[in-house]
Amino acid sequence: MRRALFAITLLMAGGAAAQSLPETDYALQCRGCHGPEGRGVPGRVPGLAGVAALLETEAGRARLLSVAGVRQASLSDARLAALLDWVALRFAPPGAASLPASLSAEEVARYRGTSQRLR
Amino acid sequence: MSRLDHLTERAARKLAMHVSRRSFLARLGALLAGGTALPLLPLARGASAAEAVEDPSRCEYWRHCAIDGFLCECCGGSATACPPGTEMSPVTWIGTCKNPADGRDYLVSYNDCCGKGYCGRCFCNRNEGDRPIYYPHRSNDINWCAGTTTNVYHCSTAIVLGVASEAQPES
Repeated sequence: MRRALFAITLLMAGGAAAQSLPETDYALQCRGCHGPEGRGVPGRVPGLAGVAALLETEAGRARLLSVAGVRQASLSDARLAALLDWVALRFAPPGAASLPASLSAEEVARYRGTSQRLR
Repeated sequence: MSRLDHLTERAARKLAMHVSRRSFLARLGALLAGGTALPLLPLARGASAAEAVEDPSRCEYWRHCAIDGFLCECCGGSATACPPGTEMSPVTWIGTCKNPADGRDYLVSYNDCCGKGYCGRCFCNRNEGDRPIYYPHRSNDINWCAGTTTNVYHCSTAIVLGVASEAQPES
């Protein structure tokens, strides 16, 4: 009982857990327009359920990395790769067969046409 | 000892001869009245910077660190709700602010309230983490009343989304 009370006190003192790095990057770079569930705004902002499918092919990855908001994101290639993987996993439609292979920082740099290291 | 008694008696008698009881009561009354009026002086209000950080109707409120607009708290709404007759934009500018109470960085969403003309009260322009307009997703200078039935801007809210893993990039 004492241990349980101690654990509860610790939890209350610690407050809410911080979001993961890709989740914070999503909030600051994408969520404002695409929304918390990646649904976008019908007719104005596209949803993100299709990101996983785009990552399945070479042409799809090149297309994704050419989108202005993705290409311009104030993130290093490695963080952008981790963010896109997170988006693909988080917003994949239910029943999606399998998740595509992860993006690498080198791949992002190649598609982005840059070697920038912002962060 | 008797000498000390004598001195005290002389001093007390001298005081009683020169100071009336009314004078004592008048001074006590002035002290009490002055003491209660002291917090009303402008000096006391000016010294409440720490309170402003906790007041949603003030620009100094900690959640307003990246805002650019009229505070909905002063426009018939609140920091988390739009005033009657306006609609909250689902498309929004998001930043992070440090909460001085616990020193952590929080994700704050500045959803605009749209549908009525400029509120015109409590304008606040702090802009931490704001980028030039050619980074539209990181700029608060554009009209974020998108996705609503009308793009007429009224005021801005400041809604906490959660704890950020780090502060927003400065550049």
